[in-house]
Amino acid sequence: MRGGWFGVLLFLCLAAALLFLTLPIAAIFVDSSPGELIDSLGEQGALDALWLSLRTTAAAIVIILLVGTPAAYLLATRSFRGKALVVTLIELPLVLPPAVAGIGLLAAVGPSGILGGTLDAAGIELSLTTAGVVVALTFVASPFYVRQAMAAFAAVDRSLLDASRTLGASEARGFLRVMIPVAVPGLAAGTALALGRALGEFGATLMFAGSFQGITQTVPLAIYDRFSTDFAAALALSAVLVAVSGAILLSVKLVQGGAALGGWQAD
Amino acid sequence: MLSIQAHTTLGSMRLDVELAVAPGECLALAGPSGAGKTSALRVAAGLLRPAEGRVEANGETWLDTTRGIDVPADRRRCGYVFQDYALFPHLSACQNVAYPLRGLSRHERRSRALGLLERFGLAARAEARPGTLSGGERQRVALARALARGPEVLLLDEPLSALDARTRAGAARELAAVLRESDAPALLVTHDFAEAAQLGDRVGIIDHGEVVQEGTASELAAAPSSAFVADFTGAVVLTGTASRGPDGLTHVELDGGGTVTTTDDGDGAVAVSVYPWEIAIEPAGVQPHGSTQNHLTAEVLSITTIGNRVRLGLGGPQPLAAEITLASAERLQLEPGARVTATWKAAATRLVAA
Amino acid sequence: MGRLWWLLLLAVCAAVAAGCADDDNGGGGSDSESPTRLVVSAAASMTEALEQCGPEFGTAETADVKMSFAGSDELAAQIRQGAKVDVYAAANTRLPDDLHADGLLGTPVEFATNEFVLAVTKDSEIDSVEDLTMEGTTMVIGSESVPIGSYTRETLAKLPPDQEKAILANVRSNEPDVKGIVGKLTQGAADAGFVYVTDVNATNGELRAIKLPAELGPQVTYGAGVVSKSEQQALGQRFVDGLTDGACADALEEAGFGPAP
Repeated sequence: MRGGWFGVLLFLCLAAALLFLTLPIAAIFVDSSPGELIDSLGEQGALDALWLSLRTTAAAIVIILLVGTPAAYLLATRSFRGKALVVTLIELPLVLPPAVAGIGLLAAVGPSGILGGTLDAAGIELSLTTAGVVVALTFVASPFYVRQAMAAFAAVDRSLLDASRTLGASEARGFLRVMIPVAVPGLAAGTALALGRALGEFGATLMFAGSFQGITQTVPLAIYDRFSTDFAAALALSAVLVAVSGAILLSVKLVQGGAALGGWQAD
Repeated sequence: MLSIQAHTTLGSMRLDVELAVAPGECLALAGPSGAGKTSALRVAAGLLRPAEGRVEANGETWLDTTRGIDVPADRRRCGYVFQDYALFPHLSACQNVAYPLRGLSRHERRSRALGLLERFGLAARAEARPGTLSGGERQRVALARALARGPEVLLLDEPLSALDARTRAGAARELAAVLRESDAPALLVTHDFAEAAQLGDRVGIIDHGEVVQEGTASELAAAPSSAFVADFTGAVVLTGTASRGPDGLTHVELDGGGTVTTTDDGDGAVAVSVYPWEIAIEPAGVQPHGSTQNHLTAEVLSITTIGNRVRLGLGGPQPLAAEITLASAERLQLEPGARVTATWKAAATRLVAA
Repeated sequence: MGRLWWLLLLAVCAAVAAGCADDDNGGGGSDSESPTRLVVSAAASMTEALEQCGPEFGTAETADVKMSFAGSDELAAQIRQGAKVDVYAAANTRLPDDLHADGLLGTPVEFATNEFVLAVTKDSEIDSVEDLTMEGTTMVIGSESVPIGSYTRETLAKLPPDQEKAILANVRSNEPDVKGIVGKLTQGAADAGFVYVTDVNATNGELRAIKLPAELGPQVTYGAGVVSKSEQQALGQRFVDGLTDGACADALEEAGFGPAP
């Protein structure tokens, strides 16, 4: 084989990594029959969990895209005093364990938190509500997107923006019609990461929003609720989550591939 | 009329330029990399704000640091061609050209853009993405895009340097034609003096952020103000018509009279170039001897001493410049008005873009 | 430069080994000279009590006691999945009995009782179970599979149906263990929840316990046993015995648990 012992070593490492990563996923599908899986999915609690996960993740992603994209653009194209600090702060939730994220959210916007009184007075309830779930998901998932978006924007050739301005387009127009379309592959990757993170969020959601069917019990929480009493149901939900995550990754690849082939019509 | 005054520090370099370009004129700014040429363009476009400066275009003040005026780049009507063209990769050629057209219906924008592309011979490639266009095609799209909304001022950053030698010839011809047709003052920067000479009505040599000499290309070649300018201005360029000779050489009938021979291959309308320091001077009337093939009679118009060298500006049907040692010039007792023969080798003669 | 790479490789291997090892006493020794290990899975409600006496038991027996606390149902599930646990102590008798019936646990012993109470914040206006039926009261209870959750539903089922329905309608979260319920209450996210009196005690006054009428409250009996596959049968049995009579029994009593029935 090419490469001698080094080549063999590389191959072994890849094989080990592949096995380690795919075995648990494969086991989810192998451990129960398709019939059992489908039955468990028909159960109302599972359906509620799936629908709730999709709704809350979608809401979180929308917020992240709307707020995070311009923020990432600013960070990628301007420099200012204290920028390194700002970037670190934004990336911080990335390295926070979910439990710490949960504590943080409680301490900030929980009923006894810093803003608790203000929110209460404004009639906004976050704890134990679906809105609370969206808040938790947005918190843990946004750094994943913002970071990728920053890198994507920074990688866009500056002369494209300059060109846009010399052609009479304001910075806002240049942002919408040049920056974003050209950065789409990176933005798509960031969205996929954030989506995956939000779909899988457990600890912060449980601590901050609680676990109640249809209101706050997302798929990961539902899996946890079921695994000690109804392992088959837990498997079924896990299988769905794996399938959805796989679909997300696939669509991101398609978007990136499409972009590479020559971008999409922005006119 | 475009006038640019900029005085500022960029990193470790100073930029101190004062330029003026008349309407319909093209001023070519030539200099080595890092001389500040692109910075001058960016100041004009509004992409770079100097500490002190003024930019006026056709009566409108675009920048005046003393009065706090700084019109944003997107409100200055510049046609800027970037060095790497900066075409939007996600838009087709037609959409790129249509990008600056605002306030028109979709249909009108498209037809205007198509019209421009047609003018540049790119109608067939209108729907292609920049990634699939050749270097020369991209350069033309960039040019079309810059011209699309009839800019007040044309700014070109090394418009030919990204092209391979072969494409460059045709592109230079086209660009020269566009510049001639346009009423807008044009400022072009390049590191290649021959390019500057070909495209610019006047040439300014810029070094270390300052314009060290300005004039027509032949003035600069004939009477360089410093060794730097002398070395930078390089070749003499003569235009003519070429045909292949039976001796395996190419013969060029120069416009205005005279013939030169070159070892390069060519046909039709061409330009020949030779470096002044490859031209030897003989008193007129001496019979040709030795291996040099090219001989042109000319009159000494100017003598510029640079250290131990002398630049001779020679007048003939086309201007020439020769560089010989001070000692030789003295020995030949050269003075303005003297008739001499400029002689040089066919092998030292290059065929370049016409 | 080559030397540096080898040192780096060595350091990485050491780090991985240390990461996989279990605790400050070093990884589990296989020879008889290093301390024996005892893994105890106990219901979350016993956290404060056992965290004290567990290490004490370990010192006395020259053993390394590792405790893990969670909902009793989750712990039982782990044992069913083959987790290497030596002792199992649950917040009810049903889970240990089920494991015993399946041959996974030795004969369970009832070692303590707890009181099932209604917990509210210390300045709450709620005084009784009836108050919970009021609209707008937020309740947090345990999920169905965890003992605290099944006790809760058992209790509520004893109420008149419309009361039970009203209270259940006010439930906003089904927590996987008591600690989650307590957390929501202390954070002010909910008005009331059903927990054990020992949990209220552990909050040091943050929460107040409302006793339930005798006929309403469930009999909360804690059961424990030695896992059948454990290699520490004798040591494990001594630990279980200690829950009824010993340092751990004292600790449980101090925390508010009742004696074995």
